Amino acid sequence: MDRWFLIAATALAAVGGINGMLTVHRGTRSRWTVIWMIAAFAAQMGFLYYRGQARGACPLVGIGEIMAFLAWSLTLFYLVVGPAYRLSLLGVFTAPLVAIIQTVALLPGVWVSDPERIPATDPWRETHAAMSVLSYGALALAAVAGVMFLVLDRQLKDHDLRSGLFHNLPPVRELLKSMVRLLLIGVLLLTIGVVAGFMMPRQPSGTPHLIAACGVWGSYLMLLLIRQVRGLTGRRMATMAVLLFLASLSVFALV
Amino acid sequence: MELVCVGLNHRTAPVEVRERFAVPSGKLGTSAKELLEIQGLEESVVLSTCNRTEFYLAGDHAEQAAAELRRRLAQAHGADSDPHWYEHHRIQAAKHLCRVVSGLDSMVLGETEIFGQTKDAYRQALDAGATSGVLNRVFQRAFGIGKKVRTDTRIQEGATSVAGASVELAEKIFGKLAGCRVIVIGAGEMSRQTAQALVSRGASSVFVTNRSYDKAVLLAEEMGGRAVHFDEWQPVLAGVDVVISSTSAPHPVVLPHHIESVRRIRKFRPLFLIDIAVPRDIDPACGAIEEVYLYDIDTLEQLAGEARTRREKQIAECDRIIEEELTKLNLPGT
Repeated sequence: MDRWFLIAATALAAVGGINGMLTVHRGTRSRWTVIWMIAAFAAQMGFLYYRGQARGACPLVGIGEIMAFLAWSLTLFYLVVGPAYRLSLLGVFTAPLVAIIQTVALLPGVWVSDPERIPATDPWRETHAAMSVLSYGALALAAVAGVMFLVLDRQLKDHDLRSGLFHNLPPVRELLKSMVRLLLIGVLLLTIGVVAGFMMPRQPSGTPHLIAACGVWGSYLMLLLIRQVRGLTGRRMATMAVLLFLASLSVFALV
Repeated sequence: MELVCVGLNHRTAPVEVRERFAVPSGKLGTSAKELLEIQGLEESVVLSTCNRTEFYLAGDHAEQAAAELRRRLAQAHGADSDPHWYEHHRIQAAKHLCRVVSGLDSMVLGETEIFGQTKDAYRQALDAGATSGVLNRVFQRAFGIGKKVRTDTRIQEGATSVAGASVELAEKIFGKLAGCRVIVIGAGEMSRQTAQALVSRGASSVFVTNRSYDKAVLLAEEMGGRAVHFDEWQPVLAGVDVVISSTSAPHPVVLPHHIESVRRIRKFRPLFLIDIAVPRDIDPACGAIEEVYLYDIDTLEQLAGEARTRREKQIAECDRIIEEELTKLNLPGT
C-alpha cells in the first residue's frame, strides 16, 4: 500500500509539473500546479503513515525512505512558502524535483518492499533524522529558488524577455529574499539535527556521516555569513545554493 | 428611440481643433444637461479628454438632434471644424462606445485611463439628470464589455513607451518599487518622463544631476527629490537601485570603474541602468558586471514596439468580443 501511495504522489507531482510547464509555455500562469501538489502531498502523507506503521517509527531507514521523506519535506515547504511569499512558478520548478526525488526512492535496489520493524527508538536519533531531512526540504526549495533566479538573471542579462517564463517569474529581489530566508530556516533546522546527531548513541561507522553533515552545515553557515558581512551577488548566491544542495546530498550516501 | 454618437478625436482632428471643443472635466454633467434643450433629445452624455470630445445622444429624434448640435457647435466654434466630426448611429454608436471604453480607439492602444474618464463622464451626466433608460443601459453594458475585453484579451499587456518599458523592467528586478532609489543623470525630457514613471509606481528617493546645476534643481523639485552637483554624483551611486542617464555628452559618462568602486558598499545588490542617451551615456562594459542589468534606448524602444505590435494583433479579437456581446444584449436605441 505504501508503495502505491508513493507512486501516486510521484505521478501527481509529475503531472503538476508538466501541466505547469505547458501552461507557462503558452504564456499564462499555472493556477493548477498548487492543486496537483496538494494532492501529491496527501499521497505522501499516506505513504508516510503506512510506512511509519510498518517501521513502528519515523520512516527514515535507508536511502529510499530518506528520499521519500525529503520529497515530503520539499512539498511541505513549497506549500507553506509559495503562498506566503507569493512566488509564482515556484510550483512549476518544485514539482519536477519532487517527482525526480521520489522516482529515485522507487528505483529497484533503493526501494525496500518489506520494511523491518525498528525494535527500539532513540529520541535523539529520531530528532537527528527528522530535523536533518526536514532541513533538506528547506535547502532544496532554496536551490529551486536559486535555479529560478539564475534563469531570470540570464534572461534579463540577454534581453531575452519574450517568453511566457520571463513574464511569470517573480522579481529578482523577491527570489533572492526567499532564497535567503529558506537557507536560514534550513540551517536552523540542520543545526538542531546536527546537535541531536552528537547526542544520539552511535557506532564508529556513523562518524563519517556526522562529519559530512557538519561540513554541509558549516558550508551553508559560511555562505550566509559571507552574504551578511561582505555581500554577494545574486548569481553567486544562487549558484552556491544550488551547488551546495547537490553536494550535500552525498551525506545520505554515508548513512 | 435612436442612439447617436457625435465626436472628434485624435485621428480626425488636430490638437488646435480638439482644444476648441474640449469641455472642462468638472462641467461634463452640466454640458450634458444643457444639450437636452435641443428638440428631440431626451438623454445625453458628454465625454471630453485630451484626445476626444464626444456627445452620446438618445431620443426619438436623436439623429435630427445631432444635426442641430453640429450646427450649434459650428456657430459657436467655427464652421471649419465640420470635416473633423464623425457620427455613429444606433448599433454603430454602441459599438464605438465599447471600443472607446476598451481603449481600442485611444492614441495608446489598450490604455486604461479612458475607462475611468468615460465612467466619470457618465456619472456626471447621471448626477445632472441627463441620462435615463437608454443611455444608462448602454453605458453600463459598455463598461461590462470593456472589462470583459480587457480580461479576456491581451490588449493592455506590455508597456508601449520607453518610460513604461523601463518601469516594467524595474518591477521585474525589484518587485514593488516602494523604497527604490533613483538617480537621474542629465535633466532632459526623456529622463524626466522615465523618472516620473518610476516615482508614480512608488520609487521614493530621486537624485538629479546635470552639468547645469539649475536644471537639476528644477527637475529635482518637480520630482520631490534632491539635486546633486555633476562632480558629486559618483558617491550617490552607492545608495541607488536605478540609474537613468540621458546627457548630451559625446562620450560615456558612467564607466565600469564607477560601479566597481561602489560594489562592496552596495553589498552587490542588483543595479538597473537605463541609458536613454544617443550617443550612449553608459559604457556597455558596465553590463558585464554581475549584478548590473543594462538597457539602452534601442532595446527599450524595441520592447515598447513589440508590445504595441502584440496589442495591435489583439484588435480583431476585441472587436469580435464586442460584436458578440452587443448581439446578445439587444440594447435599446440600437
